[in-house]
Amino acid sequence: MKGIFEELVKATRTLWYEAEQICVFCGDKHGPICPSCRADLLRPELGRCRGCGKLVLTEKTYCSDCVSGRGPKQLDQITAWGHYSGGLKDFIHTVKYNTHPRLISKISRPFSEWAIRQLPAVDGLVAVPMHKARLAERGYNQAEVIASALHWELGLPILRGVERIEQRSSQVLLSRQERLRNLEGTFVVSKPGYLKGRSVWLIDDVTTTGATFEAVAEVLRTSGVEAVYGLCLAAGLEKG
Amino acid sequence: MLFFLTIEDKYILRFRPFEERAIFDSRVVCYLSDPLPLAIIQWAAEQLTRGQARDFCGENLEIIKKRISKVLNEYSSGLDLKWKVPERSSSAEDSMTLGREVGNGNETWYAINQLVRGKQLSVRDLRGLAKDFKLRDREIIDLVHNNVLQGTALWVPSVKRNSKGWQCQRCGEKDVEEWPSFYGLAATCGSCGSIGPSTSLDVLYRDQRLFMNSSAKVLFQPHWRLTEAQNLASEQVAEFIGGTSDKALLWAACGAGKTEVCFPSAAGALEQGKSILFAAPRQDVIYDIAPRFQRDFPDYPVQVLTGNTSNRFQLGNMVLATTHQVLRFWQCFDIIFLDEMDAFPYRGNRALDWGLNHALRPGGKLLYLTATPSTEALTSVRKGEMLLIRLPARHHRKPLPVPIWAKYSGSFEGNVCTSFLIERLELLRRSGPLLIFVPKISWVAPWIKSLKKQFPYWSVEGSYSSDSERGPKLKNLKKGQYDIFVSTTILERGITLPGIQVVVFGADHPVFDERALVQMAGRVGRSAEYSGGEAVFVSKNMTPAIKTAVSWIKEQNKLALELGLIQL
Ligand SMILES: [Zn+2]
Ligand SMILES: [Zn+2]
Ligand SMILES: [Zn+2]
Repeated sequence: MKGIFEELVKATRTLWYEAEQICVFCGDKHGPICPSCRADLLRPELGRCRGCGKLVLTEKTYCSDCVSGRGPKQLDQITAWGHYSGGLKDFIHTVKYNTHPRLISKISRPFSEWAIRQLPAVDGLVAVPMHKARLAERGYNQAEVIASALHWELGLPILRGVERIEQRSSQVLLSRQERLRNLEGTFVVSKPGYLKGRSVWLIDDVTTTGATFEAVAEVLRTSGVEAVYGLCLAAGLEKG
Repeated sequence: MLFFLTIEDKYILRFRPFEERAIFDSRVVCYLSDPLPLAIIQWAAEQLTRGQARDFCGENLEIIKKRISKVLNEYSSGLDLKWKVPERSSSAEDSMTLGREVGNGNETWYAINQLVRGKQLSVRDLRGLAKDFKLRDREIIDLVHNNVLQGTALWVPSVKRNSKGWQCQRCGEKDVEEWPSFYGLAATCGSCGSIGPSTSLDVLYRDQRLFMNSSAKVLFQPHWRLTEAQNLASEQVAEFIGGTSDKALLWAACGAGKTEVCFPSAAGALEQGKSILFAAPRQDVIYDIAPRFQRDFPDYPVQVLTGNTSNRFQLGNMVLATTHQVLRFWQCFDIIFLDEMDAFPYRGNRALDWGLNHALRPGGKLLYLTATPSTEALTSVRKGEMLLIRLPARHHRKPLPVPIWAKYSGSFEGNVCTSFLIERLELLRRSGPLLIFVPKISWVAPWIKSLKKQFPYWSVEGSYSSDSERGPKLKNLKKGQYDIFVSTTILERGITLPGIQVVVFGADHPVFDERALVQMAGRVGRSAEYSGGEAVFVSKNMTPAIKTAVSWIKEQNKLALELGLIQL
C-alpha cells in the first residue's frame, strides 16, 4: 500500500494541465472547482472551529459545543476544507463507497494549497487508520489516499505506526458522548519511539464530532507526539 | 467480498466465503487465515496448475502450501500469509449449517432461491435482498454459495484481468479505472457504476439456472384488434421466433403500434414456459407499456424493473425493464424485444449492448423495434445477419404526412418573427395547434417571448427535457390548451396530440439527425380523426439528414400502398 498516491498521480498528472477541466463537484465546465461550488461548498467566508473543525461564523474561534467543553481536547487544532453537503458530500461518497480512490487526485492541488495556509508545517502526516479486515475488503483507506495526495503536493513525509485494532459499531447512530466512549481502546501505536517529539497533521475524510480524531490523537500523545493538527475534507456547519 | 482459500484432502484448491465453512467442512485440510479477493485466488490457481485440473494428487502438502504462498507473494508482496489447520472438536457443532436460520427446504430459503434464478448480482444487490427478507448478509451469501457448491451458480470477479487486460464481467467494459490497492493494482468499472460499483476486488454472483422451465396456461386477452398491417408484421414476428435466425429488426412507421405486434408471439412463448424480456432505454417507455401488458395478460406475473423500482426482486417469466437493469440478468431469456433501440441512452452504448447479449440465452431470439433504424442495423440487414420485418402503416390506413422543406435564409438565433415565419405559422394554425421544435434549450425561452409578442391572442408555452414544469405543461398540451408549444427533444411516448402541426426551426442543425427528424414529423396525423396535417422543416440549408428523413417516410408510404395497407 506504499505510495498509493504516487502511483495514481503518475497516470493522471498530465491530465491536470489539460485545457478543459470540469468541476469535480457539479460537472460544470469551470473546473477543477467552479466558482459557485467554491462559494457554496468550501465557504471561504466562514471560519473553522479550532476545537472540532466545524464551520462557524468568522468572529468565532470555537463553536458552542467546544466552548462548553464538549469537544475534542487532545488536538491543537482541527480544520476542514469545506461543508459536508451537496457536491462535496457526493464526491466523498463516490471515493469511499463507489470505489473511486483515483478521484482524490482531482482535488489534491487545491486542497493542499488551502491546507498549508491553514495549519503550521509539521514533521509528517498520519492518516486515521482503518481496521485490517475493512481494509482487506475495500482495498484502500481513503484517509491514506488523502494523506498521499498531501504528501505528493507538499512533500511532507507519511508517518506510519498507528493501527486500528478494533472494529467498533458505526458511529452514525450514536450520541456525542457515546461516540467518544465507543472509540476507547480502538487505536494503538505499534512503534511509539518513532513518533516521539514529532508534530503531525492527522488526516481523515470527514469529521462530525471530532471523536475519531480525538481517539487517534490520544494514542499519539501517549507516544510522545508534541503537536497534533486534525485535517479533513469536510465537516458540519454550526447552525444559527 | 473476500474468500478463504482452502486446501481439501487429495489437495484440491477451493474457496469459501466464511471461515466457519472452512473449519466445519471435514474435507478441508488447511486454509489461509486471511481472506482474499476471488480474482487473486483464481489467478493463483491458474498459475499453479497452468490450465490443468486443480488438484495436486500425490504431492506433498507442505510443498503445495509453499508454492501457493510463493505465487501469492508474487502477486502482492504485502500479504500476510498464515496457514491454519481447522480445529474441530467433536463437541463443537457447526454453527453455520443451512437449516438454522434459513434452512434448506424452509419457505424463506425457497422464496429467495426462486428470486435469484437467472440473475447476475453484485454483493450489494445480495445485501439488498437480505434486507428485504430481514436476514443477515452472511445468511444470504451462505444460501447462494450453496448454489455455487451445487454447480448451478458461479462467483466471478466483477472486474477480471486476463492476458489482454481488464474487463468488467457485468457490462463487458474494458476501459476501466486502475488504482493501486492493498493487493497491488486494482480496477473499478466506470460504465455500469450507476447500478452499484464493480471492482476487481469484488465478486458477482451468476446464477445459471433458468427462470422457471415449466409451461403454464397463459390467459391472453388483448383489448384491441391488430390492424391488417400489424397482423402481417405479427405473423412475421411469430415466424422469426419459430425460425432459425437469431436477430430481427422490426422497422415500423411512427405511430403504427409496434409494441402490440409482439404480444401474440409473447403469449405463445410464455405458454411454452419461455422467458421474455421487453427492454427499452427510457423509463417512460416501460411505464407506458407496463399497464398494457398487465391488462392484456391478466393474472400473469409481470416484473417491472426500472431505476426507480424499489422492489428489485420479483417473479415471473415476463420482464419489462430499462436497459440498465438488464445487467442484472445472466443468460436467462429466450426472447428479448428491445424497443426504441436508437434512443438515448442505448444507442452506441457498448456496455448495455454487451449486457443485452449476455442476458439472452445461447440460441435465444433478439428483436429490435424501431421507427428509425441505425445505420449499423440497416447494414446488418443488408448483409443478411438480421431479418427485416416491416410495419409501414398506421391503424387509420392513411399515409404518413411527408415533411415539407421551407428554405429560410433568416437567422433563428435572433428569434425574430419575420413576415416569412409569421405567414407560415398563421396558415398552419388554421389546421391545428403548432408544435415548434428548436435544436437548443437556449432558444426555447426567447422564442416563446417573441411568439407571444407576435401573436398576443394566442396561448404560447414551451418546455425542454429537464424543465421542472414539463409534466403539467405536457398535460395541458395534451388537452389542446396551447396554440403554439416550443420544445427541444422529441416528446415523451404515449402522447398523441390530435390535429397537431409540426414545425422544425433550424432543421439543418447538427443535433437533428434523420432519426430525430422522422420522430418529430411522426407526431403529425396519428389519430383517426386527424390523420392529415403537416410537418415543415425550416432551415437555410438542405442537409443529408433532411433528405434521408423525407425519403424514409416516402418509402414507408410506397411500401404500405404496394401492400394495400393504406388508401390515398
Ligand atoms: Zn461546481
Ligand atoms: Zn467545535
Ligand atoms: Zn461494468
